[in-house]
Amino acid sequence: MSRVTRQSHDARRAASSALIVCGALLLIGSATSVARGAIARDAARARWAEMEAERSAVRAKLSTGGARWSEARGTPVARVIIPRLGLDEVVVEGVGDDELRAGPGHMIGSVLPGDRGTSVISAHRDRHFHALGGIAVGDTVVTESASGTVVWTVSRIRVVGADDSALDARPTPTLMLTTCWPIRYVGPAPERLIVEAIPAR
Amino acid sequence: MHSLGRAALAAMMIVGAATANAQITTVVASPPRKTEAAQQAAAQQRERVAQDSVARVAMTGMKEWVDSASAALAVRPDTVPTPADTALATPRAANAPAPKSDTSATARAERQSEFKNGARAPDTATPIPAIGLAGIVLILAGVAMKRRERTARVHARR
Repeated sequence: MSRVTRQSHDARRAASSALIVCGALLLIGSATSVARGAIARDAARARWAEMEAERSAVRAKLSTGGARWSEARGTPVARVIIPRLGLDEVVVEGVGDDELRAGPGHMIGSVLPGDRGTSVISAHRDRHFHALGGIAVGDTVVTESASGTVVWTVSRIRVVGADDSALDARPTPTLMLTTCWPIRYVGPAPERLIVEAIPAR
Repeated sequence: MHSLGRAALAAMMIVGAATANAQITTVVASPPRKTEAAQQAAAQQRERVAQDSVARVAMTGMKEWVDSASAALAVRPDTVPTPADTALATPRAANAPAPKSDTSATARAERQSEFKNGARAPDTATPIPAIGLAGIVLILAGVAMKRRERTARVHARR
């Protein structure tokens, strides 16, 4: 084997090793993020279970009637269940990166599900709200919070741009579930899926 | 042959001696002595500089200028500035651009993540799937490259 050929082989071997190492680092990075999310989700579920035990005390703390809910970020504040899709998640306060890693986030400033006004719950499409892509008008959504258990019916589904002013304050109890759209999309999704629900009669 | 060797030896000695001379026996000449006239001129120059009134006046003037400037600005270190003269007392703070808060981006993000009428849907976009996919693609490309390289090496050996 000539010297030039050997050098070429060595360079290719080094390049392939570098590609494998870089790929492994990227995979480890994303896996770490997912694992951290899973740990935070478990912690939120455990905390929610504790809070259910002391629900009465939390209920006493609440000011109902559409008043603004104030709770520390990351604190479990509700639970959202969509039986048909098998979705059952504990909702934490806030929609920052850390909160959305732990679970669906309750948008600060919106009311708790069941109170008068709009309650907004958001989550990542590739994690907690992945099943939301299969939702349909008429589906049942159940929420539990310090305001009580509410059964909702999906009344409207829409897709809007990421920068659209899509969330509006309603005088009546309204639940808005949001996530990125399209559900299967590589990279930051350009649109948002907004599922509106009203209390079931 | 002998004559050639002797000539070479002689040449080496000459060249070597010349080099050694250059390195070892270099004479460092002492600086030229100043003449008396030059020394007197230098002494006169020093005396003139010492008596230079311009320099002293400049120093005195500087002190007065500083005093007058501080009086004009009414900045006295032993007094607490009133709200009216805050701008004067801290001109830099008043004229400087507002300090960039390191949490400005965070605050903006927090404002956007708070609900109000006409709010945007929260930013739930995440690059994690894309990063994971890129990692898988890189690993596959690296493995394919390695296999091709191995095959090529086997062919080259044959």
